[in-house]
Order: sequence, then structure tokens, then C-alpha cells
Amino acid sequence: MLRMLVLRDLQKTYTKLRLGYLWTLLEPLGMSIVLWLVFSVLLSRHIGQQPYALFITIAILPWWWFTKGVAQSTRSFKRNTNALRISLLPTEIWVLRVVLVSMIEFFFSLPIILVAMIFTRTIPGPLIIFYPVAVLAQFLLMYGLGLLVASGVAIIPDLDRIVRICMRALFYLSPVLYSITKIPDHVQPFAAINPLVGILGLYRIGFWTEEIETPWHYAVSFVVVFLVIGAGLFVFKKLEPRILKGV
Amino acid sequence: MARIRLTPDLSTMIEFAGVGSSVVRQTRRGGGGRKHALRRMAGEFQNETEWILRDITTSVGVGESVALIALPDDGREELLRLAAGTLIPDTGIVRRKDFVVPFVGVVPALDRSYTFRQNIYIIGGLLGMTPSEVESKVDRIADEADVDGRLDKYLGNARPIVRQKLAWAICMAVETRAYAIEQLLVVGDGEFREHCWQQVEQKRADGVTFLVSSDNDDDLLRFCDRAIVLGNGSVIAETTVEDGVALRKEMAPTSKRKKEKARIEEDEEGEYEDL
Repeated sequence: MLRMLVLRDLQKTYTKLRLGYLWTLLEPLGMSIVLWLVFSVLLSRHIGQQPYALFITIAILPWWWFTKGVAQSTRSFKRNTNALRISLLPTEIWVLRVVLVSMIEFFFSLPIILVAMIFTRTIPGPLIIFYPVAVLAQFLLMYGLGLLVASGVAIIPDLDRIVRICMRALFYLSPVLYSITKIPDHVQPFAAINPLVGILGLYRIGFWTEEIETPWHYAVSFVVVFLVIGAGLFVFKKLEPRILKGV
Repeated sequence: MARIRLTPDLSTMIEFAGVGSSVVRQTRRGGGGRKHALRRMAGEFQNETEWILRDITTSVGVGESVALIALPDDGREELLRLAAGTLIPDTGIVRRKDFVVPFVGVVPALDRSYTFRQNIYIIGGLLGMTPSEVESKVDRIADEADVDGRLDKYLGNARPIVRQKLAWAICMAVETRAYAIEQLLVVGDGEFREHCWQQVEQKRADGVTFLVSSDNDDDLLRFCDRAIVLGNGSVIAETTVEDGVALRKEMAPTSKRKKEKARIEEDEEGEYEDL
């Protein structure tokens, strides 16, 4: 059933738009190019690893998945009001659906990394095997966060605006544009609380082994991921009656 | 994980024990007094809890057809949804022996941007059918709803009667032991109504339980064994259908709640755009 809902969603997006699949590639690609131009060519700061174009592309794709998924989660119950009213299925599937759809779109956009690799003539090392781990961790994190925000809307109606602001803040607070190894030592412990630090790091260590420098980042990130998913499930269970009432 | 728990060893089909359901309504702060003047000017909202259903204790036996008689917006839709489990009670507990298929709001759940076939799959799935089950029934459903010629066309602006027939056919295709039906016991026109009657009578003969709420007294009189009468959110009588219908006529139409069907419009486009 879930598979069916996800397939329908994908079908909808890809048949409605004229360029269809190309947009999945063009959107993050455009973003990467702009950021690369600004930070590498115009400012020529060394805030990340070299080659910077690849460095940023690798983080932009999961980030795109992250914002898209979480932002859509806030509306996942509202948008499916009519279906929720008759659904005998677990309520969680509406959040899961949004997260899965955005994940598949993320998979579709992966060829951009290949393009970036060819463009910068870089090949990944053996640690690339951590890439799927990162995907899994991000999926779990997003499911937890998605449940959290989707049920939060039941008590705070303007939560989706708050989420949007938080996302923007998180973009700069997460090591998307820069490497976590480049931030000052005394803020390192605080940075680790952000689970994206570990996840983005895992995406990157296949290319830059320097990213392993601080293994405890990963440990902290994983703990936070599990905390988030626990909190998500808990809050959702508490608010489920109200969610159903609101529809 | 699953929201709906079944108690297979229940002696009745659906059992309500002290069930209550409330809504929190936001009203503009009104009234006089200096204390809240500023808040009133700011248009602050006040939360008001209104109990739609209070302490409902009743049951529906296996194979019974029960008429749920109440004035519109007097908690009958909520009770049907509680019976099916698409609403969770604030107090008390609802137990059910088997899945209760809600025929409450199936018609609006049909999605115009999907084809007829996709709609059958999705609605069927929501009502508890497995995809393979739908697969085997899709032709029969289409045939019944008279849409077999355009299964792969988009639903679009299909006429209401077509939607009703489709929703009805999907619901009836679910293999279930119980239904909770709002208004649309029979749908469509002339011939189709007869067909509906045959089908529901057949199901009733097979021992399927029905909990029906309808404004059409004749339908209820024809179909139901007994009646549960709701008034002001509690059960005021459990009698024969004749008495129930008579009771409804006596009740003054004090429509407390206004129809608030202003659904939040779907915002399909223009989401996220973050970064």
C-alpha cells in the first residue's frame, strides 16, 4: 500500500512537469554551481576540502532531500485530510510516504555526483562504503523529525513557518558549505549535537579521509538520531487523537 | 504501530464503553470587562472545549443492522468514525471484533488527479484491502460502478453520481464483517438503487453488521433492526426503528454546530523552496 502511494506521488510529479526528471537534476545542480562560484571562485576561501565543487555537491544533494522532506512532512496530514478520514491504516504512513518520496528523488539526483566527479577528476576511496550508512541514518533522522513536526502542527498551527526558518538556520549551522574540521576547536563540542554533522561527514569520508579526524562526532550524531526518532514516535503517539480529530 | 486493535473474542461486534469525544473550538475573545480589553482588540482567540459525545455506552451485536438516529451534526458522524477507528475517543474505549469499514467521507477522498483505476487501488487500500485483493476485484468494481470503459482516464470532474457509485462499489468490495455508513446506504438512481438494495440485503443475510445513519427514514425503516437515538451527544433511547424515527421528528432542530466544511485547500504546488 505504501509502495503504491509513493509510486503515485512520483508519477504525479514526473508527468506534470514538462522537463520532468531533468528538474530533479537541475535544481540541486544549479544550487551547487552557484555556491561553488561564490565560495571558491569569487571569495576563494578554503572553508572546505578540495576540490570544492565536488565537496559541496556531495552535501547539497542530501541537504536538498532533508529540507524537502521535512518541509513537506509538516503538511503531510493536512494534505491528506480526506484520505485520513477513511484510512484504516496506521497514521504514520503519511509521514513515511513523504520521506520516502523525497528519498527516491534524492536517489534520482545522484548522477550529479558522477558529473562532479568527472568534472573534478576525483575518485572515491574505499570508505565510500559508509555512504549507504549515511543514507540510512538520514532516513531515520528524517522519519523522527517528520513525525515530530507533522504532529506538532496539531497544536501549533504556524509550525510550518517556524520549520522553514529553522531549516534556513540549519543550512548554515550544518557543515554543508564548510568542513567540520575547519571550525574553531572550542565550538566543536556544540557542533556535534547537530546530527547532520555526523551524517554529512559520513557522506564525505569516502572522498576525504580527513573527515574522520573526529570520530566522536559520529557517535554523538547517532545518539541524537535515535533520540529524535524516539521523541518523534512519542510525541506522535500522544498527539494522534488530536491529529485525527483535526481532519 | 497499527492504530486499530481488534478484540476477536468480543461477543458483540462493536462495543462503546463510556466513550466521549470533544473538540477544541477557537472563538474570538468576547464579552466585556476591562481585564481582557486589550486581548479582545488584538483579536486573541479563546479555546473552548465542546463535548460532542458524552459517555456513550452501547453496543452493536454481530449481524445486527442498527440505525443511528440523530439530528445532523449531533455527533453521529463522530460516532460512526469512532466505531470504525478513524477517530480516537478522548474518554472511554471502543472495542471491535473485526474491522469496521467506514463509509463516511469516501466520496471526497476520491482524488481527481488520479485515474479511476488508481482511485480504486488507493481507496481500497485505505479501507483495508491488500493490493493483490484489489487487483483481483478491480474489474468487478469497475463493472459495478459502470466505469469499466474509462478505467485509465482521470477522474477529473466526473459527475457526483459517478463518484458515489464508484465509492460505493469499492466499499462493498471489501470483505468485512461490519460497515459504518453515513447517509449513503444506497446511492445512484433508479436501477442502481435497486442493485444497492440487493447487495446490502445480501450482505445482511450473510451476517454482516451495519451501523447506519441516514436522514432518509424510509431507508432506515426498511433496513434496520433497531435504533440508537442520540441527542445532545448522549444516547437517549435504544428502541425500535419506528420509535426512533418518531423521536427524531420530535426533536427540535437545534443545530448547535455550523457546518464547518471549509477544508484547508490542498497546496500542491509551491512547497519548500528552502535554502
